[in-house]
Amino acid sequence: MKPAKSVIEIWLWGGPCQLETFDPKPAAGVDYNNGLKAIPTAAKGMEIHEWLPKLAECADLFSVIRSMTHPHFGHETATYLMQTGRNPGGGTTYPAIGAMISMMKAKEYGGDLPPFVILTQGKGRFSEVGFLGEKWAPLVTGGNPVGQDFVVDGIVPPGGLTQKQISERFDVLESLEAPSGQDDFAAAGAAARKVMSGNAAKTFALSLEPESVRRRYGRTRIGQSCLAARRLVEYGVPYITINVPGWDSHKRHFETMKRATADMDQAVSALLEDLKAKNLLDGTVVWVSGEFGRTPRIQREAPWNGGRNHWCKCFSALIAGGGFRGGCVVGRSNDTTDAVAERPVSPVDFLGSICEVCGIDPDGPLPNPRGLKLNVMPEAPASGRLREIYA
Amino acid sequence: MNVSRRVFLGDGAAFSALCALAGGCASQNVSQKGTAAAGGGAASALENADGTATDSVMARRLYLDICGRIPTVEESLLYVKSSDPAKREHLVDRLLDSPGFADYWSMRYCDILRVKSEFPINLWPNAVYVYHRRIREFIAGDERWDAFAAALLGAQGSNFRVPEANFLRASAKRTPEGLSEVASLTFLGKATEEFADFFRRVSYKGTREWKEEIVWVEPGDGPSPSDFARLLSGRLEERFARAPVERVLHWMFGERAEGSARPAEDALVKTFRDSGYRLKPLVREVVLSAAYARGSVTGGFPRRRLDAEVLDDAICDITGATRDYQSIAPEPFTFLPPDRRSILIEDGSISNAFLLLFGRPARDSGELSERDNRVTPKQRLYLFNSGSLYSRLGRVVSRPNFQRMKTAEATNYLYRLFLGRSATKEEHKVVASSKIRMRDLAWCLVNTREFLYRC
Repeated sequence: MKPAKSVIEIWLWGGPCQLETFDPKPAAGVDYNNGLKAIPTAAKGMEIHEWLPKLAECADLFSVIRSMTHPHFGHETATYLMQTGRNPGGGTTYPAIGAMISMMKAKEYGGDLPPFVILTQGKGRFSEVGFLGEKWAPLVTGGNPVGQDFVVDGIVPPGGLTQKQISERFDVLESLEAPSGQDDFAAAGAAARKVMSGNAAKTFALSLEPESVRRRYGRTRIGQSCLAARRLVEYGVPYITINVPGWDSHKRHFETMKRATADMDQAVSALLEDLKAKNLLDGTVVWVSGEFGRTPRIQREAPWNGGRNHWCKCFSALIAGGGFRGGCVVGRSNDTTDAVAERPVSPVDFLGSICEVCGIDPDGPLPNPRGLKLNVMPEAPASGRLREIYA
Repeated sequence: MNVSRRVFLGDGAAFSALCALAGGCASQNVSQKGTAAAGGGAASALENADGTATDSVMARRLYLDICGRIPTVEESLLYVKSSDPAKREHLVDRLLDSPGFADYWSMRYCDILRVKSEFPINLWPNAVYVYHRRIREFIAGDERWDAFAAALLGAQGSNFRVPEANFLRASAKRTPEGLSEVASLTFLGKATEEFADFFRRVSYKGTREWKEEIVWVEPGDGPSPSDFARLLSGRLEERFARAPVERVLHWMFGERAEGSARPAEDALVKTFRDSGYRLKPLVREVVLSAAYARGSVTGGFPRRRLDAEVLDDAICDITGATRDYQSIAPEPFTFLPPDRRSILIEDGSISNAFLLLFGRPARDSGELSERDNRVTPKQRLYLFNSGSLYSRLGRVVSRPNFQRMKTAEATNYLYRLFLGRSATKEEHKVVASSKIRMRDLAWCLVNTREFLYRC
């Protein structure tokens, strides 16, 4: 198996409900499914929620895990575990999977953009880079990809300046600066100018895409972020995270989910099909999940009035490409998704599997500036990595 | 004297009046005796011929180191113009007694005391605010550090109601070993587990109020955190008195390096001890030392990149821009007033992309190395290329009075705003001959070492 070159993580921030995504329970009754249905997919034997019709059509491209499980029901601690594979506490802040993979693939990548890019906002609950330090911190793009131009502050030069003006003002800057030898200021300046002179900024130029392609992904934040992610994969960036807020549906759960799943369905199906068509899917892992799922039994009482709380005992994830086979279902929940019935998958196994298909040994050492003796992933529980769906 | 925002945002008339006060600086270089070097003569504006810092550099240094902000045009002109032989002492005393000192040094103390509401410290928001307020009171009142240490180590009670009780909560590792590490790091300058026995009886319990927690010491025979506090004035006193001195020198002079100017440490320890372990006399002695007056070009004074928060405030002060602070972590969501200065943000969990980019510390460990003031390619790329920064620079040059200025006057205005000094003859020449647009000159100044560093 050839190692995957890139990873796209689509983080459904807040905890997406397993029932209205990849683990519908049409037989569980209205207290659980609100009378909504499951639909068949292109993958034999896999049904997903009726709100994901476009993903259903391309289900042969991805697999679904229905038995994700861990013990943390708070956003901060669950996010930390799902991102680092480590339990919180113990005095050390570990790096997120994106920082680890991008650091370890930085050498083979060698591009001008940082090897870890986040579209468009950081998670904010903890520092993604942990003890690896600023050097491996992600480029957080900011900006709004939905507009005609996706302005990534600092990468894409401000509008209205010609190349001539840009180079002239550098000339003036140089004549005004007292020469001060080689220091980190000078070295950083030279590196920054190299990025400016290359084609890194073009990566974010979504306006270069045909209008039909932009529409296919959906003119939404998640849609255009997925399109930008595909362009970053083409450029070679090893790890791209798309943070998608809006999934913490304590109240107005069904209204929220209907809207959010529609955007996600369009964006992720477009991404997978586009990667496939461009022959990039085999080299790119795509994964979709959040920190946990949601309470299976609908909370009809006030103040929730039809909401769902956090649920970490059993939730779902999508995984595709980069050495994972499509069309499979891993694990099984019980009748209501209250609990895992078969084949539990822990965050450390899930993340460890992604490392493995990227050619990184999860049980190997994690280089770090503090000289700590650590492995990429802590010792995995008995559930085991996702070898049954390795291609 | 009031620190006037007006002078930063200032109109040209105020500026011209100030120039008259300074003896017509629009056409005249300010008291630089050194020879002009290459690079527009910037070196001569930074350092006198005898290797000491020029007045304008000294003013900028003192404002940055004591109050965490750049001086206004008015403040730096007044300092440069003053013929008072004791002007440095007078400015230092005024700044140490100003609220700005308490604001900035609270930020530093909150870094080492790990004041943040979320993971991995989890003080929670209410506790962060009471704790920050108490720390600021300690700095503003120049209280004794030994008494404060005893209060921090001895406090028991609610994290919302007893601010000092948060000291024993502010650790990512709430075990006797973890508490030993934070206590020794805070009071002795180095983390060690050897004092774990003093923290074995420390216990925590929740209440029915959301995120409230009680810190208490279980009854028993073993030593308590207060016993550790007593050691600080006993057998550990030498290290206890030295650690704050090392910290202050680290903040102002960075790592010890060969050939670089640095005040003698032992004398400072003596001053600190003799003053009753108070911070202000210590800082005062450092900034009035001969080492502190050295120039940064040949004089050996170490340059220090502005802290992330200070840089953000400087750009906002100069351009009149405001920040957009909101934070969805911690809950409940936080929205700060748009003119809130970044050095005043109490909670280490509230941040933004700019502060992260420029190495604001995570406040996870309390180690000084958490604050990363190195310059990285990403930072320079931002300063070179950011559209939002460029549009803010546009606000400076679009002020009506600025637009009426001739090139030389406008050049000086920008130099004073950004660098706290007027342009040298060579710099005027470069600007005039290049015909650069004033907005792009502002861009150049933001991208100089002199702006980005405390020189």
